[in-house]
Amino acid sequence: MKIVVVGAGQVGTTIVEALHNEHDLAVIDLDGPRLTALSYRYDIRAVEGNGASRRVLQDAGIGESDLLIACTSRDEINLVSAMLAKRISRAQTIVRTTDVEYLDAWRERQIEVDFMVSSELETAHAISTHIGIPAARQTDTFADGQVQIVEFDVPAEAATDEVIGRRLREARIPQESKVASIIRGDRAIVPRGEESILPGDRIIIIGSPGAARVWSRIMTRVEHLVDDVVIFGAGATGVAIARVLLEQGIRVRLIEAQADRARKVAEELPGARVFHASGVDPDFLERERIGASRAAIFSMREDSKNLYAATLARVHGVRYTIAVVHDPISIEVFERAGIDVAVNPRSVTAEEIVRFAHDPRVRQMAMLEGDRFEILDITVRDTSEFVGRPFKELPMTGSLIGAIVRNGTAIFPHGDDMLEPGDRAIIFTESARVSQVERAL
Amino acid sequence: MALAARMPHRATLWAGGVDLGSALDLVGGVLKYLGLAFLVPAAIALGYSEPVWPFLASGAITAGVGGLLDRISVGERERVGPREGFLVVALVWLLVPAFGSLPFLLGDVPQLSNPVNAFFEAVSGFTATGATVLTDIEALDRSMLMWRQFSHWLGGMGIIVLAVAVLPRLRIGGRQLLQSELAGPTEIERLSATIRETARRLWTLYIGLTAVAVLALALLGWSGLDPAMTFFDAVAHAFSALALGGFSSQNESVGAFAAVTQWVIAALMLLAGINFLRLYRIFVQRQVRVVAGDEELRLYLGILLVGSLLLVVELLTGSFESGEAGVRHAVFQTVAIMTTTGFATADYTQWGALATMTLLLLMFVGASAGSTGGSIKVIRHLLLFKVARRELEQTVHREAVVPIRLSGSVVDERALRSVAVFVLLYLAIFALGALGLVVDARRVGAELAAFEAIGAAAACLGNVGPAFGFAGPFGSYEPFSDLSTGILAGLMWLGRLEIVPVVVLLTRNYWRA
Repeated sequence: MKIVVVGAGQVGTTIVEALHNEHDLAVIDLDGPRLTALSYRYDIRAVEGNGASRRVLQDAGIGESDLLIACTSRDEINLVSAMLAKRISRAQTIVRTTDVEYLDAWRERQIEVDFMVSSELETAHAISTHIGIPAARQTDTFADGQVQIVEFDVPAEAATDEVIGRRLREARIPQESKVASIIRGDRAIVPRGEESILPGDRIIIIGSPGAARVWSRIMTRVEHLVDDVVIFGAGATGVAIARVLLEQGIRVRLIEAQADRARKVAEELPGARVFHASGVDPDFLERERIGASRAAIFSMREDSKNLYAATLARVHGVRYTIAVVHDPISIEVFERAGIDVAVNPRSVTAEEIVRFAHDPRVRQMAMLEGDRFEILDITVRDTSEFVGRPFKELPMTGSLIGAIVRNGTAIFPHGDDMLEPGDRAIIFTESARVSQVERAL
Repeated sequence: MALAARMPHRATLWAGGVDLGSALDLVGGVLKYLGLAFLVPAAIALGYSEPVWPFLASGAITAGVGGLLDRISVGERERVGPREGFLVVALVWLLVPAFGSLPFLLGDVPQLSNPVNAFFEAVSGFTATGATVLTDIEALDRSMLMWRQFSHWLGGMGIIVLAVAVLPRLRIGGRQLLQSELAGPTEIERLSATIRETARRLWTLYIGLTAVAVLALALLGWSGLDPAMTFFDAVAHAFSALALGGFSSQNESVGAFAAVTQWVIAALMLLAGINFLRLYRIFVQRQVRVVAGDEELRLYLGILLVGSLLLVVELLTGSFESGEAGVRHAVFQTVAIMTTTGFATADYTQWGALATMTLLLLMFVGASAGSTGGSIKVIRHLLLFKVARRELEQTVHREAVVPIRLSGSVVDERALRSVAVFVLLYLAIFALGALGLVVDARRVGAELAAFEAIGAAAACLGNVGPAFGFAGPFGSYEPFSDLSTGILAGLMWLGRLEIVPVVVLLTRNYWRA
């Protein structure tokens, strides 16, 4: 596959590192020496110039490429680059953004980009998975909210139980739900009976809202449930983390040293308690009993400050500390200093992008909301060959009927249930099979 | 032309930093058109063959004086900034009742022959207070009665709001004027792109609701459910109810009508006590769900419920009333006092201390912001409560940053401060007013109980109307001396304009350049 990467910074470099063996890469960057250094290390085509320029993109061979990854640190460059690529080539586009606004606009299909990754959100998801309460990454609803499609990251530390680590045939999958897909590393696995969900997988579930809640409980390591988290630093990353945690019903306290910013964040996040204070003020930590909280997250701008504050918090009794680390070299320093987890936003972003760059199936699955036809909502015709046959007799093709809406109520079918004419079937399917499924029903 | 527009504005009459010329000019413009309002009672007088000339003469005088004021700065465009806005509003609300009292004097109404009393009655009318110096209301001519009711109706939604809606010259600075007149602490939520259109929609809704009210009441009369309700009474009480005024054409107020009418009028008051911007959303834009989450509306209904329950307990256990009548009088009186209307179905001064205390406190609650009612208003109580709660929280959590929210959206800190200052000024003026009444009573040697003074000051400042003791619902303010009557008229004026536009005129920095 031919891939054009715009931006040879930390994210770009990590992506190149992961992809250069299997794919033809062209890398665009304004910084000549940086490009030269990269091209000595990896066998890539280096193009010096602005990634938002038509000429430069053409020089990099966008016309013959299959994929464009725009991952500079500047959102607008990335967006312009992707939009140009859409017009002048048939390449799919992945854009890195730091702005949740753009992400929302993309989700609502107002930005024509195939996939968008936000560093802040990826960081937030990585952290919430580390706390043991993975957030549902994406939720789509169908049939007036009666059917949900939810994506979970199974925590890497998850213990095997009745669901995780068992073969699906024997696992106790919550009622009214089905596993639609398992993504392991950069591969997508069709969840047949002999497969199993392993720690570190990402899974896609289709089921009732109730079942989705049961799943999120299964994903949560109940033994040390965190319900009270303190976040130091209410920058964009801190706020993204707070949002994700609040959505899961965790009490969040945000500590911000700048008065204006604290006020703004307090207005933005009604659910969080915001304090205008320095994270390194022992009196404050004492007064607010910060030590009593289960976990503290440090997302201030400077690594050294995060390390200092985290160490102080540990002295005050915080048991679990997670730091956002900006310089990759610091990760080791942090871990040696006893900080439990160090998360580098750029590397989680790169990982996420690589995951999608590698395997077109994973890509399409992630693009559920990106207008790829993966979830079908079809009304069954009375002439369909499947009408009147029990589900267990239907051919196994990798498509999955997740739910049926009959007379306005959702049914989550078992093997003996039958399709009736007029049913609305919510089907999880590969793009390639869309026409086949439509013909059959 | 472009150059001329940029030339510094030259006014004919400056007082320090205030463009008096422009302000007076605008006041004149409003008065000029107010002359037309006198045609309404004139028509009634014609219909009932009562003297028409007092109204025509009053209208001519008003329009004439308005026209004169309007000529102060001929050929100049008015420049109405925030300062001039306060002056315009304060003056309009002083001059309109002054001219509005002319028919009482010219028409030689025996009970209103004293100019101070006539002025009091007119102020009470336009500010939609409903306090009266009359002792026998029914003795007045039909046209005079309707003039009182009509003044309620004009002042209820607001003279300035009407002017902004109708007069093209108020396009500039209209927002400022509207803000000063329309009740409430927060910024006017726009119903449309222009403030003029907003004013128009408010008045259209007001007229529409009034029409519905007239029809509802008239139907009660025609259908025979309430033989006492004539069409004249239907119009009179619809005007008064929608404006949350309180004047009635009957000596016994709403007590003169059947039970079913009393329930209908209670419902009308309840409706008019809701923010008209919200009512517009409900009735015109049909956004019922947005309104259902409105905190002020919920608290408004909650307080009404609690107040009604307290009064029901008082009436039933104190054996003042029984059965349906007990519940009806309790609910009616709670709504009438809290919305600052001041109608009455029964003489609540005869009830016990629980009723007296509840009603006195309700006078300080008031209706919703943006309604036609007066007093402190529910929204300010709500915000103050939230501020107090935050202060308590911050005594323990010193560094906590807690924005105050109302129905989900953040309230500006400046607005919160002005709410606190308003309530403080309100209570201070109430206290001074009550003290003034007692001092004056001693001066003239009149008998006035402390509680009567408190009640009268609270009822006038809150634009409620009837108070306690001799100034109760079936009583009259007539026993007060001229000076006290003047003080009470001043309180109504301050209360209707929500204090600030008047008090700010008394500060030295207002007049400074």
